[in-house]
Amino acid sequence: MVFLTLSCWIRNRGPDRYWKVQEVLSNARHFRGRKNRCYSLAVRAVRRAFVYATKARKIKRRNMRTLWISRIAAASREHGMKYPALMHNLVKSSVEVNRRVLSDLAITEPKSFLSLAKLARARQQEGFGAALGDGKEPPGVFSRIVTLQ
Amino acid sequence: MSSFTKSAQQWATFARSWYLIDARMQPPGKIATMCAIRLQGKHKPIYHALSDVGDHVVVMNSRHIAFSGNKWEQKMYSSHTQYPGGFKQVTATQLHSKDPKAIVKLAVYGMLPRNLSRRTMMQRLHLFPEDDLPEDILLNLTEELPQPREIPRRLNEYSQEEREAFPTLWTPLPQTFK
Repeated sequence: MVFLTLSCWIRNRGPDRYWKVQEVLSNARHFRGRKNRCYSLAVRAVRRAFVYATKARKIKRRNMRTLWISRIAAASREHGMKYPALMHNLVKSSVEVNRRVLSDLAITEPKSFLSLAKLARARQQEGFGAALGDGKEPPGVFSRIVTLQ
Repeated sequence: MSSFTKSAQQWATFARSWYLIDARMQPPGKIATMCAIRLQGKHKPIYHALSDVGDHVVVMNSRHIAFSGNKWEQKMYSSHTQYPGGFKQVTATQLHSKDPKAIVKLAVYGMLPRNLSRRTMMQRLHLFPEDDLPEDILLNLTEELPQPREIPRRLNEYSQEEREAFPTLWTPLPQTFK
């Protein structure tokens, strides 16, 4: 027999169980039910939550882009244009403003957004203007053809 | 608008408007899309699904909606009473005669997103079968939306001058031709 004295029978199970448990439970405090209190349930829920958080970092970028697109669509419909027409004509006019900035302009700088919408509208009507109009530039819109005076 | 105080600008941006739509001689689906967009708040650049930015929509004359094609006889609305043998199917005509608001209400309900805010958005939709609106709703209205469909006129609603001015495909024969 190895454990001949009483002191040898005592096992030291590890001094920091409390802090290891708190490390997990502190991430679970806002959960619903017993998984915010009981370690065995909390461990599973916390692992699931971290997996969802990891996957959500990519999904967040997708959601933000759809939100920007719906905001830009709403603002452009206020000015009588549709979102695909606006974006295509801005690209054709070589205005490389991304959707994040466009949606911020639509909210905080409505006049700047209106001017961009008018530019896109002028570019959209360019074909009509060339076919039906008198060859003059639409008023108030800068185009590629800059005449030096 | 830039001369408003910050609080006044905030109030004006997030205020809930009341829109009026006249559904006389309009297809209920087109009315419903207009309603659904404004109930969700998707017509505003500040839209977010959680922000509760939807507006109120009042639809009047819902008794006088006009389905295209043969939908009054062919479109079926189904429901189940959850008792055995309780599957009910009614045509659009029967449903409209029982409840003149139901067609527009079901159309809008199906066009809203399937989440918990759908019920609150439906609470903000106000349907009236005729054009007599109650006082408190009339006081709240801010804007009337244009009708999606141009109502065609009957032949007897055109004046004689318009009928004569309409282009013909052939020159009429002279009266003396035999």
